[in-house]
Amino acid sequence: MLVTYEEFADSRLAALLRYAVMLTGDPHQAQDLVQETMVRVQLNWRRVARADSPERYVRRMLTNQYVDWRRGSWMRRVLLRGEPDEAVPAPADHAQHAVDRDQVWSWLARLPRRQRATLVLRYYEDLPDAEIAEILGCAVGTVRSSISRALTTLRTEYAEACS
Amino acid sequence: MIEDDVRAAFAQHEALTPPTGPVRAAIDRLAAVRRRRRQRLRAGGVALALFGVLGVGIPQLTPDRAAEDAAMLNEPVPPAPAGALNVLLLGLDATSDQRPPLADSVLLVHIPADRSRPFLVSLPRDLQVAIPGHGRDKLNAAFAYGSRSDPPDLARGYDLTRRTVAELTGVRVDAGVVLTYPALRRLTDTVDGVEVCLPREIRSIHTSRVFPAGCQRLGGAASVDLLRQRRGLPEGGLDRDRNAQLFAAGLVRRAAEQGVLTNPVRLSELLRAGGADLVVDDGGLPLLDLVRVLPQLKSVDPVGLSLPVKPLDGARWVRPDPTATPEFLAALREDRLAQWAAQHPGRVNRTR
Repeated sequence: MLVTYEEFADSRLAALLRYAVMLTGDPHQAQDLVQETMVRVQLNWRRVARADSPERYVRRMLTNQYVDWRRGSWMRRVLLRGEPDEAVPAPADHAQHAVDRDQVWSWLARLPRRQRATLVLRYYEDLPDAEIAEILGCAVGTVRSSISRALTTLRTEYAEACS
Repeated sequence: MIEDDVRAAFAQHEALTPPTGPVRAAIDRLAAVRRRRRQRLRAGGVALALFGVLGVGIPQLTPDRAAEDAAMLNEPVPPAPAGALNVLLLGLDATSDQRPPLADSVLLVHIPADRSRPFLVSLPRDLQVAIPGHGRDKLNAAFAYGSRSDPPDLARGYDLTRRTVAELTGVRVDAGVVLTYPALRRLTDTVDGVEVCLPREIRSIHTSRVFPAGCQRLGGAASVDLLRQRRGLPEGGLDRDRNAQLFAAGLVRRAAEQGVLTNPVRLSELLRAGGADLVVDDGGLPLLDLVRVLPQLKSVDPVGLSLPVKPLDGARWVRPDPTATPEFLAALREDRLAQWAAQHPGRVNRTR
């Protein structure tokens, strides 16, 4: 069934923004990333609507745009604006855990973009590996090794922080 | 478990998500700006066709779909074309709704890597070729086989013709344009007619029109009439291919004279003239890359060439000339057509 761009934006824009926040770790960068992607989606809606799953197609566009910052212009624009805004603190829950989670969040920011994307897709979007592979345009094995490398890095950080 | 911490870190930062309202508005605003910009780029597609040949109506423009998707998805695309390019132009005889359309003019536009000038290579419609999946038949049947459905599927007709031409010549086809007579007529009128210089008189078998030997300015209807003439010409389809090259060269010169290729206002007029037949597919980055080649050309005056052929038994079919064709195709593949044309002046068609 074909949906219109308007319907798609109504139902999916919020989820895409959340996804972009998880990828970039920053609300402004997330907004720029989603804007840039959705402008192209709107201009080429017929092509997007023809895809088996427009949602997955758009997610793939957005993910590639994020991973491939050299070709896209959005990251450059964002960087020109200066450092990511740190004035927006995440709401804290239990004091002890909040420290850990903020720390995990900052470690995530240091991961290579593709690795971070695989973590977001598995642990935030809860997608099966096959679908992650499709979004990233790589083999399932690559997804798994990418996740495992990312987790290893995080564990090392963890160990260092606790020692 | 680190996995649980990652999960929790994501969940906790959901609160950073910006509200959708302003983002939605910004998207609409940016899209409107870019849509206006794209109108101008689309006009560039017409310039390609113009320059290309019978140039001008583009009922169906078929850039490589995979490459388009790659562009949309921001995935690696081939860099802007730097080397030699081959554009396939099909002139469609779709006058009757009863039978599937035949591609009556099959022309390969070769743009050499040195961007010196375009080469028009006519492939005779009556050429006997291997059509993938359909055995041996005339080249113009490939379009009919491919498009066979109700209504005819022009994209598939083009695709089968493209594969047939690629197998025959061994060259990669970078882009394709399918032209119909009505679009051609409107666009010829938009440039106020095209001058052609005929080597001999031609009498139309479809109308009472007589085209005298020598130079004349033809309007849209007369141009279409001329390009349909095949029977009654001494070499039939081969003569018609030469007329098409004369017309194409005249059209390109006319467009260049009027500055159509560089003037956005004139281009948008042409775009409107194409009317409903003029469909440029969205997101056609590869096509835009091709348009960027236009200003690089040192001359738009084309060199007219034909695939060397010999008659096959009956008078109507032709086959590749076993001695001259391999050498010609090697020159085409290896981007040495200028050298080949210099060595075979007798095989260069007059385009003025």
